[in-house]
Amino acid sequence: MTAAAPSPKANMGQPVPRYDAAAKVTGRATYASDMPLDNPAYAFLVTSAIAKGRIDRFDLDEAKGVRGVIEIVTHENAPKLKESKLFSNGGYAGTTIQPLKSADIAHDGEIIAVVVAESYEAAREAANRVKVSYTATAPSASFDSTGTTTAAAKGQNAQFKEDPAVGDFAKAFDAAEVKLTAAYDTPTQHHNPMELFSTSCAWMGDNLVIYEGSQFVYGLKHGVAEQLGIDADKVRVVNPYVGGGFGSRGSMTPRTAIIAGIAKRLGRPIKLVPTRDQGFTITTHRAETRQEIKLGANRDGKLLALRHEGAEVSSRADAYCVGGTKTTTRLYACPNVDSLVSIVRADRNTPGFMRSPPEVPYLFALESAMDELAVKLNMDPVELRRINDTNVEPIGGKPYTSRSLMACFDEAARAFGWAQRSPQPKSMSDGDWLIGYGCAATCYPTQMGPSAARVRVQRDGRTRVEIAGHEIGTGAYTVIAQTAAERLGVPLEKVAVFMGDSDLPPAPVAGGSNSTASTCSAVMMVCDQIRQRLFKAAMPAQSLTDRAKETVGLGQTPATQAAKGDRPLDIEKAFDALGVGVVEEYGEWKPEGAPLDSFRAMHNGQVRLVGGHAMKDQIAYAFGAEFVEVRVNRFTHEIRCPRLVGAFAAGRIMNPRTARSQLMGGLIWGMSSALLEGTEIDERNARYVNDNLADYLVPVNADVAGVEVILLSEQDDRINPVGVKGLGELANVGTNAAICNAIHHATGQRIRKLPVRLENIEV
Amino acid sequence: MSDQSSSRPSGFDRRAFMAGAAGSALMPMTARAAAQDASAPAAQDPSLPVEVTLRVNGKDKRLRIDARTTVLDALRDHLKLTGSKKGCDHGQCGACTVLIDDRRVVSCLTLALAAEGQEITTIEGLATDDRLHPMQQAFVDNDAFQCGYCTPGQIMSAVACVKEGHAGNEADIREYMSGNICRCAAYPNIVAAVKQAAPEIMKG
Ligand code: FES
Ligand code: FES
Repeated sequence: MTAAAPSPKANMGQPVPRYDAAAKVTGRATYASDMPLDNPAYAFLVTSAIAKGRIDRFDLDEAKGVRGVIEIVTHENAPKLKESKLFSNGGYAGTTIQPLKSADIAHDGEIIAVVVAESYEAAREAANRVKVSYTATAPSASFDSTGTTTAAAKGQNAQFKEDPAVGDFAKAFDAAEVKLTAAYDTPTQHHNPMELFSTSCAWMGDNLVIYEGSQFVYGLKHGVAEQLGIDADKVRVVNPYVGGGFGSRGSMTPRTAIIAGIAKRLGRPIKLVPTRDQGFTITTHRAETRQEIKLGANRDGKLLALRHEGAEVSSRADAYCVGGTKTTTRLYACPNVDSLVSIVRADRNTPGFMRSPPEVPYLFALESAMDELAVKLNMDPVELRRINDTNVEPIGGKPYTSRSLMACFDEAARAFGWAQRSPQPKSMSDGDWLIGYGCAATCYPTQMGPSAARVRVQRDGRTRVEIAGHEIGTGAYTVIAQTAAERLGVPLEKVAVFMGDSDLPPAPVAGGSNSTASTCSAVMMVCDQIRQRLFKAAMPAQSLTDRAKETVGLGQTPATQAAKGDRPLDIEKAFDALGVGVVEEYGEWKPEGAPLDSFRAMHNGQVRLVGGHAMKDQIAYAFGAEFVEVRVNRFTHEIRCPRLVGAFAAGRIMNPRTARSQLMGGLIWGMSSALLEGTEIDERNARYVNDNLADYLVPVNADVAGVEVILLSEQDDRINPVGVKGLGELANVGTNAAICNAIHHATGQRIRKLPVRLENIEV
Repeated sequence: MSDQSSSRPSGFDRRAFMAGAAGSALMPMTARAAAQDASAPAAQDPSLPVEVTLRVNGKDKRLRIDARTTVLDALRDHLKLTGSKKGCDHGQCGACTVLIDDRRVVSCLTLALAAEGQEITTIEGLATDDRLHPMQQAFVDNDAFQCGYCTPGQIMSAVACVKEGHAGNEADIREYMSGNICRCAAYPNIVAAVKQAAPEIMKG
């Protein structure tokens, strides 16, 4: 066994290699822009050079003169598209800013023209020759710009219903023995999945096929149909593989319907491969935040008062926010809590979810503040968490379904060697390097959504699972195949999984870490339906309880039968008894507490996730603890992070191999969020400056040394049938705080603004 | 209020820089390609397609393409070899890495015309008779990918990294594999994979 495949502990599946491994190492895995098209035309986008104002005039003469140009589409001749509401208002779109609708410009980098040509090279050249005259108005870029407007999130964002509060914060804070007030800033970030935001559209008569990397094929299908004003049954979205999502492909962007409309007009398939820099403005991003935390505690460390205020930047058009206070106000025991989230509107494109949307920025603030409080109290930061650990969240008084936070802290601390830390800042060094140890908690809500699945079994045990789930790198194919193989009792090699196609039974958006819990629960339920049919056919009614029919795999012998010396179910006999060639079942699963319209919404591509703090009488989160070592060079101020250790508990682990990889990637994302990533904004022009992979820093191999992932065994029977909490967005939360806490330990300097670069260190 | 008259040609500056930077190395070859084939109209009108023969995975492929076509786009759009990926088109990510005469190159910054007469090896040409190349097998064993989009580039780069003698220890592997971005951050597993495959590849 390699380190990549940890041995399973209790309540963990086998670390089998990925279902799609061979396809991915041979280049056979086909992503959106790999799909063959019949005589495609190539599209190239032209995007706005101003952030606010209007287009006065296009001069297209030169562009049209480029050999091979077929069509140039601007707002003057664009296909008419219907509006789609923001996903949070019951629509499909990630932005309501609709390019090519008028001469008005809402943000820098907005699509203002699409050039279509016989070749990619001709389309690109012509796009570069499109001349635009604008009337520009001074834009508001971000927090410090003039002309922004600020208002509470509550009341303008349909999904942000309440600023959590309990008790009397002001009074308790006033009376507290130890107080902390601190402000924290987090930057704009861009997902930058490796796959570009490509879209290909091909019509066959009235039927449209879209090849686009998507985290939600049903949402995209319905959204595009709505915009084109056609029946959703005529639209099919196909993407068996997605080259990374991280939230960027969860909701519909304007480009898809535009390309579909142009393809229809030209009667030809169109392939769009936008550039990397265009990706910064034609999709979404993580918005920058400004936060303030107030903590009041007893001398012994008990929290008495907590207030968390956050402001997030959104576009003029849309009131998007992540509102992480829903998590930070519930993480620790505290009787007096207050919070407020506001939205600042600027001349920007609408932000959206990016891996652990609320938790990454908001836990940076809380987990930094907890460390600051520990320093004030002269207390070990792990002990401060222990003192304030709770099994009941303080806002609604609801119990956590399970919570292994301190077990994670203890395991990770042991593996890390936390005991060797000398608590004084600047007290550890190695030559020119100041050494710091830091830690932080992580958590992420357990979420689930309604999902359907179809499973077909043949006489020889060959099994086919169909579900419109998404393989964005999480291991979805693998865990779905494992679930079916286990549940049916057939060998894993006999299971084929089909996903990433909106013609398959609907699955929820691959977001909010709900996929494994939702899709595997559905697959498990449908496998049980198959088993019941086969057992009923093969065994006389009275010889087997219904319970056994539901719980025993096809390859197993039910205990009652084993006693009689029976062998496992004879599948062939069962097929003969049924008189069929295949047994196929379709089923729809929904989580407990799902709204009444769940299944209808599921078929219409609308998200109905439940879980986290929004459950009726319980609250469900996965937890973890992260420990980091940083080294800061005394002279050059270079910051290195040689060790990242995380321990995580997330209910049942379907496959320790894919789970470990996701958590490992998450830890590295967390490091990146602390030390590397940040989109720089040109204040005057409200423009992203470092919109490419050389200037937008993401980790490369040399930035990453020791990463250790510890999977804790945890069983939670109160969340969903498979007992899975979801972990794709768990590990990159809190890491940013752990690193800043370690930098404080190394240097004595508290840094409250991300990312931390060497120029920010003043040793 | 200001009145501007400009488009925002994405990548315009970089492209101009690219043409300048690549000019000295690439132009003579382009000229030679045109000169060798008198029927090639490239000399008269640069926007007309030119003929080029690329040797890919041991087979000669004759193409009529725009002279500006990169090796990457020639592979993907004209030869239907879509294993090599486009992640930036600017030489910044490594997703498009192929071997040209056994050297790893970013195929997005290499014009197809400039690769004429050279041996191009892509991810599709690595496995033999359905048997995975040791590096491919090592990537499977060590779970050295998640979404898989960077993987063809990582594997091609890794094969070259070993052959260059840059896989002797973990620090070297990390350094010499740093031209290939993996946004999923499978880095520790990639290092483990390169370590596993290196001895076998060196044995030949
Ligand atoms: S696509 Fe060639 S380096 Fe990124
Ligand atoms: S595996 Fe997704 S980018 Fe490397």
